[in-house]
Amino acid sequence: MRFAAVALIALLSFAARAKETVRIAFIGPLTGGNSAIGLGGRNSADLAVRLRNADAKAKYTYDLVVLDDECKPDAGVQMATKAGSDRTIVGGVTNYCSVVAMAAVDTYHRFGLPVIVWGAVLPDITYKNDFKEVHRVNGTMINQNQTNAKFMSEHGYKNVAIIHDTTDYGKGHDKYFTQFFTQSGGKIAGDFGVTADQQDFTAELTQLKGLKPDALYFGGLTPIGVRIRAQMDKLGLGVQFDGTSGIVNDDFIKALGPNAEGALAFREGAPAEKLAHGKEFLEQYNKQGYTQPPEAYGPFAYAAAVLLMDAIEKAGPDRKKIIAQLSPAHVKDVESIVGKITFDDHGQNTVPVITKYVVQDGKWVMWEDSEYASGKRKLAK
Amino acid sequence: MKAAAVAAVATAFAWLLLRAESQTSISLLLLLAVAAGVAAARLRFRLSGPSVLAFAAVAVLALLLREDDFSLLLLTRILIVVVACLGLNVQFGYAGVVNFAGASFFGVGGYTAAILAPRLPHLLVLLLGGAAAALVGSILILPVLRTRGHYAALVTIAFALLFRTFLEVNDTLGGPQGLKLPELVIGPFHFNDPVFDASFYLRYVALGLVLAALALGVVQRLERSWIGVALDAVRLDEIAAASFGLSIARWKIAAFTIGNFITGVAGALSAFMIGFIAPNNYAFSESLILVSILLLGGIGNPWGLALASAIVIVLPEKLQTIQEYRFLIFAAVVILILLFRPAGLLPRPLRRLKT
Repeated sequence: MRFAAVALIALLSFAARAKETVRIAFIGPLTGGNSAIGLGGRNSADLAVRLRNADAKAKYTYDLVVLDDECKPDAGVQMATKAGSDRTIVGGVTNYCSVVAMAAVDTYHRFGLPVIVWGAVLPDITYKNDFKEVHRVNGTMINQNQTNAKFMSEHGYKNVAIIHDTTDYGKGHDKYFTQFFTQSGGKIAGDFGVTADQQDFTAELTQLKGLKPDALYFGGLTPIGVRIRAQMDKLGLGVQFDGTSGIVNDDFIKALGPNAEGALAFREGAPAEKLAHGKEFLEQYNKQGYTQPPEAYGPFAYAAAVLLMDAIEKAGPDRKKIIAQLSPAHVKDVESIVGKITFDDHGQNTVPVITKYVVQDGKWVMWEDSEYASGKRKLAK
Repeated sequence: MKAAAVAAVATAFAWLLLRAESQTSISLLLLLAVAAGVAAARLRFRLSGPSVLAFAAVAVLALLLREDDFSLLLLTRILIVVVACLGLNVQFGYAGVVNFAGASFFGVGGYTAAILAPRLPHLLVLLLGGAAAALVGSILILPVLRTRGHYAALVTIAFALLFRTFLEVNDTLGGPQGLKLPELVIGPFHFNDPVFDASFYLRYVALGLVLAALALGVVQRLERSWIGVALDAVRLDEIAAASFGLSIARWKIAAFTIGNFITGVAGALSAFMIGFIAPNNYAFSESLILVSILLLGGIGNPWGLALASAIVIVLPEKLQTIQEYRFLIFAAVVILILLFRPAGLLPRPLRRLKT
């Protein structure tokens, strides 16, 4: 009896020891203004790790080291140094804020830490340097605005006015939309930068009304998007409202009510519920009982964590080998919950799916499924 | 002797804490620190000794941690924050000029460094960072002099908000994306090359130590001199000071300018070390953190603010394991400390002119 117990304990401890523990880092904004998205990303990456650890076929047990970059460059560099200088951490799922990612890429490169960016959209993060360590699963603003500009010109909009907020997010959108829209023969009627906490847009909208645009492009996040859309009606400016990924959430519709009807927006990635694995992701996510929703970029954090762990499974817990495993030769048409992932020479996912959305009866509906596409309803002119 | 022993113990403690990773060891060490602090307060433990000891302790600590990039980065950040707060200390602690835009002057130094670094020798750039902060401060001092108390505070808060918005909309300064800085090079030293086998951060620690020593030297001499007495008089009672023939405006301007210069130099060094600056780093909340370091340490005492800087930087970092709740705990700790020590950890002692 005693022998059996000893043998059992020995067996159990052997089983536990048979799997080596591998540490990977998650870096994102857990405190401050962007914490909702950061926590959603953290939970999603955590979910990926939990599911992998529950999988008997996995070679390693994974330990997620969560670090808070506060959406500030200095804190971001500090966390990048922490993860990079800790040799037990072999890779990272990092950064939602573009400024922080820009500041931190040098540090990842210096320490040779392979990272996969899960949310930052600034193109320069992957394209400005030639760092083999840095990869990104989500698309950049470039992709999103390319689709947006193409959509607008195809639907007969020639003269579009722009309002954008003056953060990196809004300014970037302004730049790329203008670039692609003018390339496809459109004209920018006027371009207004506003601060992210502005309340009253009467001045901008009145001036804009005089310019007689056929649509208003808005580059920014939900709170001011809601205000602008509401104030457009007050001034009798009935043009088409064309938004970015920043307004694709339920709050936008809840705040505007029926006024939201017909608003357009574009976002990277296919909606999770449309993909076979995506549905599974949402189910598993709800099962774990996280207190915060995954938010828009949770699926990307999940996909990045899965991609990183897959690379570790194949290459072993060695930074250099993982980087080799994440090279374009190996990451080609990899299935994930955000669509297929293919890295180019800069580690950028080149086939990010962009989904077009339109508000129909109080819901964000995929353009292709909407009554607007079938011709039953019409966009504003 | 006593001071040397304390320095050795403090170094050992800092070494243990900076290397501690697990929640248990961190909590144990923090409890130990609290117990030591309470005991020292109960026993009315007074410490005096040459400042050199403190700097030697930091140098020894840096050598002990020579291969640990992250701890050295933290150490340098503490030194930089100490320098920045020494600047604020001249304003708040001595002359009584409120400045809730500390991070903005820190930022003026940083942005000056980012713009001038490709063109000028970097040692000069560090000094120009301070000069630019002093220059910007000399404009802000005009409305500050015309207002008092809460109103003066409001003027500096308005400036802090304005500064951040200005950076965000200004594309030549990088806008919201910020600016990248080249490697810091002073004479033959390239700061981003490794020091033999050790971390490249050792050079930053050394430079931080030199700056902190210089700033401390200036501030302490200032306090001990007749200038310090004049500044104290201005703070304590403007009418009395004026009736003794002191020019209130003149001394406030002097304190504001010296303080901003020191803060600006610290900001320039910080920008070089991080290698990247953006408006997010210089938000109003950062200014509040600098002010809270002064309050936590005990306004007017350089050693108090050194201790407070270490706490304010290391504690949230060591609380990373509790993720999104860390600032909650951190804020609670700060409130608790101020509850039990309302005058700060190390209140400013009376000036003893005879030694």
